[in-house]
Amino acid sequence: MTTGRRIGGYALVGAWAATLAFGAFATRANAAETLNVCHGGHPIMEASIKILEKWAKKFDVNVTSTTIAYAIFVPKITQILTTNSPQCDIVWHNDDWGQLWKQYLVTTDDVPGVADFPKPPLDAFWNDDHKLTVVPMVHTVGTFFYRTDLVPENEVPKTLDELVQVSEKLQKAGKVKWGYVGGMAMNNTWFSLWWSMWNNQCDILKPIYARTVKEWAADNWTPIIDQPCHQEIVEYWWDALHKNKISPEAMTTYGRNEANAIFEAGDAAFTVADSTFYGEFSDKNKSLVAGKVGMAKFPYGPRRQQPISWDDIWGWAVPKAVSPEHQKLAKQLLGAMLTDTDGQIGMWDATGGPPPSVKAFEVLQQKDQVFRNLQKAVFEGEHVHSAYYFTNWPQLHKAYSDVAIKALTGSREAIPQVLKDGVKTLHDVAIAQ
Amino acid sequence: MLLLIAPAAAVLVLFQVVPIVIGANASFRDWQLYNPKETWIGFQHYASILSDPVFLWVVLPNTFLLMFATVAISLVLGMALAHLLNWSFPGHRLVQTVILLPQMIAPVIAATSMRWTFNDQFGVVAAFLRQVGFGQMSWLAERWPSFLIVIFTDAWIWTPWFALILLAALKSLPREPFEAAQIDAAGRWRTFTHVTLPMLRPVIGVCVLIRSIDAFRTFDQVWVITGGGPARSTEVFSIYAYVETFLNLDFGRGSAAAIIGALIILVVAWLMYRTIDRLTNISR
Repeated sequence: MTTGRRIGGYALVGAWAATLAFGAFATRANAAETLNVCHGGHPIMEASIKILEKWAKKFDVNVTSTTIAYAIFVPKITQILTTNSPQCDIVWHNDDWGQLWKQYLVTTDDVPGVADFPKPPLDAFWNDDHKLTVVPMVHTVGTFFYRTDLVPENEVPKTLDELVQVSEKLQKAGKVKWGYVGGMAMNNTWFSLWWSMWNNQCDILKPIYARTVKEWAADNWTPIIDQPCHQEIVEYWWDALHKNKISPEAMTTYGRNEANAIFEAGDAAFTVADSTFYGEFSDKNKSLVAGKVGMAKFPYGPRRQQPISWDDIWGWAVPKAVSPEHQKLAKQLLGAMLTDTDGQIGMWDATGGPPPSVKAFEVLQQKDQVFRNLQKAVFEGEHVHSAYYFTNWPQLHKAYSDVAIKALTGSREAIPQVLKDGVKTLHDVAIAQ
Repeated sequence: MLLLIAPAAAVLVLFQVVPIVIGANASFRDWQLYNPKETWIGFQHYASILSDPVFLWVVLPNTFLLMFATVAISLVLGMALAHLLNWSFPGHRLVQTVILLPQMIAPVIAATSMRWTFNDQFGVVAAFLRQVGFGQMSWLAERWPSFLIVIFTDAWIWTPWFALILLAALKSLPREPFEAAQIDAAGRWRTFTHVTLPMLRPVIGVCVLIRSIDAFRTFDQVWVITGGGPARSTEVFSIYAYVETFLNLDFGRGSAAAIIGALIILVVAWLMYRTIDRLTNISR
């Protein structure tokens, strides 16, 4: 071998080594791509992140997560979005603030699986160009729970009046301390006032069940809380708290923790909570009513002939401030999560969160009795959105809660006047955009 | 010399002065977090807040009531505890440590435990009152009972602070005036009102001033126990500013509320300082 050849050989080996080293470096560089998921720490979010992590390994991506307290989640993420900060590659998204962030998020119509998802639960998440800005993570549905050991299936109350009658009967028989318990304080209005309001053919703003700015503006943002359909509901709960006492008087201050604690202690026959609490109610380590909890349709008021429930979603979104490479990776991961039937079923088993995957839905319908019960209770039948899709919605919610609680903690005779006074407050809050 | 204070001055400027200037600037602008137009609107937010009946007739009275009540109760109880701890008795050290415990707990944790203590279904207080025949008490569903729980919690947290400082002051008092009072056959109460109290006046004054400023901005206890409810009836200044800023995401209005609060407490603190200064001079 000549010196020249030897040098040439060395050069070739060197080149190979360099190529291998570069390749290894490049692979490591790829592997080092990290997507940060910012979320509120709910078990469902954790379960969904697990699915993302599973797929991240296959895509050679790292997933880290940052938990942000619920109380500051919206301000913090809004600040991140409005300052174009790339701190979070994927953020937890919710219909409550769907319209608040629409201009700061990338569109998601091209994410695999999104096109198959039913359209109504996505109403909050369209941007001004009618492009979607969310990838569904889970369905969020309020559910009417009852004690199967106290109330046979055929005696579960179908109307609000029956709810009072059955509750009083159980209380008089000494079987239970309270008939109904549910969250009522701000931010738990859904679990008492609102489900019953919607089930009495009523709403906060006119027209009833409308959820677009166009519809409200056409009606001049008119609150209807002083109308008979709403007054009946406030009077219903006033009676429940102070007159027939099927609910604790302090329920006006209850959040989920207090209401769930009473139900899990076996002190109440009925409650309304997110379907995801079924797991907690059925956990023998936490609940005295484990194995004795059933799901049913909401009782409805005199102005309706059948119940109405809500079917909305939590989701994931990708900020525009994130680099194009990370946007692409994030969409890949989210698409894999959304179409991962086994992963979605695992999430349902672990948390009781109804999966967004259409296929997972079909599988669970076939094999899971609890899921079938939930489907019968909330997914079948008519739906209304549980939030109001415009930017001032958080203020409107707070203002509504203050008016309603004032009415419920005052005298019964004062209710019409309190609600009448509240109309102007709610109107002013709604138009202050 | 200037170089020596430079680090402290830099920290002060960066973390106190600059944020205050940014906040003051925001208070004159239409500055919503989700739509930061930052349009200059002058005193509009200030006018709106100062003409808001809830701010004037609920928030401000609640804030001053909370400040006055909690400082007065903590001072009286703190003074009593300080006297108790000034005596020597078996287990003195243990009692001193136990009494200080509330001060060592984060206010948000103390407030959460108080909320459950007074819970109408599972609370210890509710259970006791039911046992002695008071029936179901829905404390947090009404304005004054819930406000009393907030005052009680704040006083519970801050009494040890008064006790600790007053105890230190008691221990540093000269013995001669007490011996003279004893020779003059003054009783315990007379000795306390005519000897101890006048000599403690400067320390009490400083304690009251510091604690009053702090009580004016109380947030944790009110937010956790009542959230400002029912129906805003226990709302105080800090909750008002928080809701505007972090729930309504209106940084402009929230900043204006904070600046108004700062100006109010500035005036109150100045008046208190003048009064305390006069009282202290009288006691010399």
